Amino acid sequence: VTVRTLAIDDVPVGAREDETILEAARDHGISIPTLCHLEGLSPVGACRLCMVEVKGASRPVAACVTKVAEGMEVTTDSPRLRVYRRMIVELLFAEGNHVCSVCVVNGHCDLQNVAYAVGMTHVRYPYRAPDRRVDASHERFVVDHNRCILCTRCVRVCDEVEGAHTWDVAGRGHASRVIIDLDQPWKTSDTCTSCGKCVQVCPTGALFEKGVSAAEMVKHREFLAFITTARETHRWIK
Amino acid sequence: MDESCGKCIPCRAGTVQLHDLLVKITRGQATMADLILLEELADMVKHASLCGLGQNAPNPLLSTLRYFRDEYTSHIVDRACPAGVCAMRPIEPERVTS
Repeated sequence: VTVRTLAIDDVPVGAREDETILEAARDHGISIPTLCHLEGLSPVGACRLCMVEVKGASRPVAACVTKVAEGMEVTTDSPRLRVYRRMIVELLFAEGNHVCSVCVVNGHCDLQNVAYAVGMTHVRYPYRAPDRRVDASHERFVVDHNRCILCTRCVRVCDEVEGAHTWDVAGRGHASRVIIDLDQPWKTSDTCTSCGKCVQVCPTGALFEKGVSAAEMVKHREFLAFITTARETHRWIK
Repeated sequence: MDESCGKCIPCRAGTVQLHDLLVKITRGQATMADLILLEELADMVKHASLCGLGQNAPNPLLSTLRYFRDEYTSHIVDRACPAGVCAMRPIEPERVTS
């Protein structure tokens, strides 16, 4: 394995050449906020929260999809990055219908945690209050599009881990949304195995189990690390 | 904003908000605070977007702000359109359905 040496926030760091800036930073205890990224799933670089400044680059780069390079000088926190990150979270809150107080994941929400982390105290943009649908046709799960931030974690876990590819994205721009099979009610899906992986990886309350009330939905993601390690090591017994 | 694919947030949500702010200005409903918001947002969308579309979408806005800033301010302060193009009438903002 070839090792690359770089500096993250002036800390000298050694990383494998196939590692991303985000992985190298987290290995060394340097935290970078993320939303669409989830260890065990392929990175997409869509939420742009993990943007970092790389010396010599014309614009900030997404740490989750940028590989480390020899002599790279990375800054994970700057006044400019802080402004950008806060704006991105504000845009997310203005885009959907995120009402924490009545949400099933209140207190266990990745979006909420990121909002705290980037110091978002209020939203300066007008709430767009979109009229979105809720699909509660499935026996055990509900999808509430009002709380969806289009991170595509559900799409990726269903395709890459479960192998069903029930979820996908339809539409474009502000009208894009996640769909089931051929944009049909969840209950009528032929491909869904009802494994619930999408529900567990969803960062918000967009996907949740039936029977939970406000703040009662806690997501369990241990299965992801277990499956990805087991696939590599061929050890399926804990 | 009609061309945005919707993958990254700055372009998907940012261009929509930029459009709304511009519409607000052309209707004579904006304040100077909106102009600051517009400039900051344009800068973020330009530098944080994933692909060339979002990175270049705010360019017309940024260049008109550089060369025709007085026209922006007259829309906001005087509630008048120097070019005589904008109706400057308040209209109820439309709701999005998706």
